[in-house]
Amino acid sequence: MAELSLKRVEKSFNEAHIIKGIDLEVSEGEFVVFVGPSGCGKSTLLRMIAGLEEVSAGEIEIGGRIVNDLPPVQRGIAMVFQSYALYPHMTVYENIAFPLRVERLPQAEVDKRVDAAAKVLQLESRLQQRPGTLSGGQRQRVAIGRAIVRQPRIFLFDEPLSNLDAALRSEMRIELMELHKRLGSTMIYVTHDQVEAMTMADKIVVLDAGTISQIGSPLQLYHKPDNLFVAGFIGSPKMDFINGTVSSADGTTAVVDLGELGTISLPRQSKAIAGQTVTIGIRPEHLNLDRREGEFTLSVTPNIVEQLGIHTVTYSTLPGGENFIGLFEGDPSVPEGQKLDISFALDQVHLFDQAGLAVY
Amino acid sequence: MSDVARTTEAAAGTSSLSATTQAMARTAPRGRRSGRPMIDRYKWYEIVLLYAGMAVFLFFVLAPFIEGFLVSLKPLSQLFSTPYNFIPQNGSFDAYFTMWQSVPMLALYIFNSFFISTVVTLIVIAVVVPAAYAFARFQFGGSGILLGGFLAVNMFSGAVLLIPLFRLMRTMGLLNTYWAMIVPGAAFLIPSSIWLLRTYMMRIPRELDEAAWVDGASRLYTLRRVVLPLAMPGIVVVAIMTFIGAYAQQFIFALTFNSRSEFMPLPIGLFAFFGKQEVIWNELMAASFIGILPVMIVIVFLQRYLVAGLTAGAVKQ
Ligand SMILES: Nc1ncnc2c1ncn2[C@@H]1O[C@H](COP(=O)(O)OP(=O)(O)OP(=O)(O)O)[C@@H](O)[C@H]1O
Ligand SMILES: [Mg+2]
Repeated sequence: MAELSLKRVEKSFNEAHIIKGIDLEVSEGEFVVFVGPSGCGKSTLLRMIAGLEEVSAGEIEIGGRIVNDLPPVQRGIAMVFQSYALYPHMTVYENIAFPLRVERLPQAEVDKRVDAAAKVLQLESRLQQRPGTLSGGQRQRVAIGRAIVRQPRIFLFDEPLSNLDAALRSEMRIELMELHKRLGSTMIYVTHDQVEAMTMADKIVVLDAGTISQIGSPLQLYHKPDNLFVAGFIGSPKMDFINGTVSSADGTTAVVDLGELGTISLPRQSKAIAGQTVTIGIRPEHLNLDRREGEFTLSVTPNIVEQLGIHTVTYSTLPGGENFIGLFEGDPSVPEGQKLDISFALDQVHLFDQAGLAVY
Repeated sequence: MSDVARTTEAAAGTSSLSATTQAMARTAPRGRRSGRPMIDRYKWYEIVLLYAGMAVFLFFVLAPFIEGFLVSLKPLSQLFSTPYNFIPQNGSFDAYFTMWQSVPMLALYIFNSFFISTVVTLIVIAVVVPAAYAFARFQFGGSGILLGGFLAVNMFSGAVLLIPLFRLMRTMGLLNTYWAMIVPGAAFLIPSSIWLLRTYMMRIPRELDEAAWVDGASRLYTLRRVVLPLAMPGIVVVAIMTFIGAYAQQFIFALTFNSRSEFMPLPIGLFAFFGKQEVIWNELMAASFIGILPVMIVIVFLQRYLVAGLTAGAVKQ
């Protein structure tokens, strides 16, 4: 049985239709990440699950019980806010103990649970400090501690790491993953950072303007994006897209005319795409710097080259006006402004029909 | 920004200014190596100008007090001497002792003033705190109109409404009681206090309420445990302003709604120093100063709760 399930969930703020029918099943112990561009409704959806926003239509079920009209505390969830929302006048101890104080647990039990949480989060030596004297990462851990002590069925995180610097962020990311392993509870995590999404998630939910664009494991989304939006959103640098027209599709091979770049023949069963304006996609990391037998080759002139040591990134513009990014291992010599040949294997190419849906 | 923050900033401003001058004095010609950040450094003539400005301002504010105090030290005869001497000759604190005999009810008047203001303040706080919370946090029909209405009420001073108020008090049988001074006093101070505290409470991040709600706290629990402690500086400002306001406006209400001398507050009581023949100015001044004391004590007491920056660390900025 699903731990959490959303059925045709919708949300409108007055006129604005923000969440447009979401169906989602989350099973127990899963780490689910919501990603999507800013303003697509990630926080709104999370707040609806938490019980902070009313549901305009549809049903939210937690542990088999419809919770649409229940207050947060009866839903068995705990939330860590985008801003940490710590109580600045209370010590770290009292911040973590807050939910237990609300429940009026006996002091011994409060001590036990707060100490346990503090131990997990390495906050033992900070318990008597105020949040104002803590670093960003420590504050974040206090906020998580407050969520842990309730022993909720589901943890909800709203971009908990978004304001930390890069080093601290990757450190906290690992801590959170360890925490998930140790507690084994269901976690729903909102972010717009793809590295977080790719590394932490069992299941990623890609949201686009209030609808689910695709649900899948990180590698599924990476290798088999359902549509142009997901293909462009997952992966960094972004997938390269080239526009073309299908000149023929006979059920085994689709021939795509890429204009000045020539034609490319892709193994595709669909006949329906014949004559359509399509987009082919190739990930920058799947490009090779030389001509290779049996691969498609195009020549571009990089106008900017970034040497990162481990990688070299080239930026160029295709004849059709599309931006074309290349990512190559190591530091090969690719001078700016000089034509070079780039090739890629045909089985790495994604094809999207005129509606933007992937054709495999 | 709230008055609290402004007061503390002002305080911090003056202290850092004097620190600057000290630092400047030490390294007089260059003034560069003081530990001040660049933005806090002033040229010598800027400092002179700042202090000159402050001196002029302070003179206008404080001169009446100084003169009043000097008068209270002088024997009555010296007050009408020509040429007039500002500095008392053989001045003494006699007036501070004799005034209790000249006006035997003086202590009661002072007590009345203090009592009326205290009760007004308590009533205002009890009403304003929940009201401000509601206006800061809930969206309900008519909240905008109500807030606008409060401002409108503030535009009428109590004086304009004296006649209708008088009739109202008479109908309700409140004339010549403490209530005659307490009720209108509180009523006229509540609207502006709601505005002040509402603004203050709106600065407390809403996520704190939401976090408490998610953790199972009721609205009242959140108000008590989260919002009130954080709003404390704002509440203290409201309390101080109300207390002072109540102290100041007693005069007009006492004058119109009360004729019983045992309920008289100090401002009315001071008329007792106006004798048939002469006004005992020195004792009048002395009594005024003693009358201000309770306000001073209250402010000094409440000031401890004016802690700025209490919300530091609540949310990431
Ligand atoms: N209380 C509200 N009233 C009206 N509109 C709202 C409200 N809350 C959110 N919205 C709108 O809903 C949309 C989605 O907001 P939401 O905060 O869920 O975005 P998000 O995906 O979390 O974005 P971000 O990544 O920037 O946090 C936005 O366009 C926002 O303007
Ligand atoms: Mg958000």
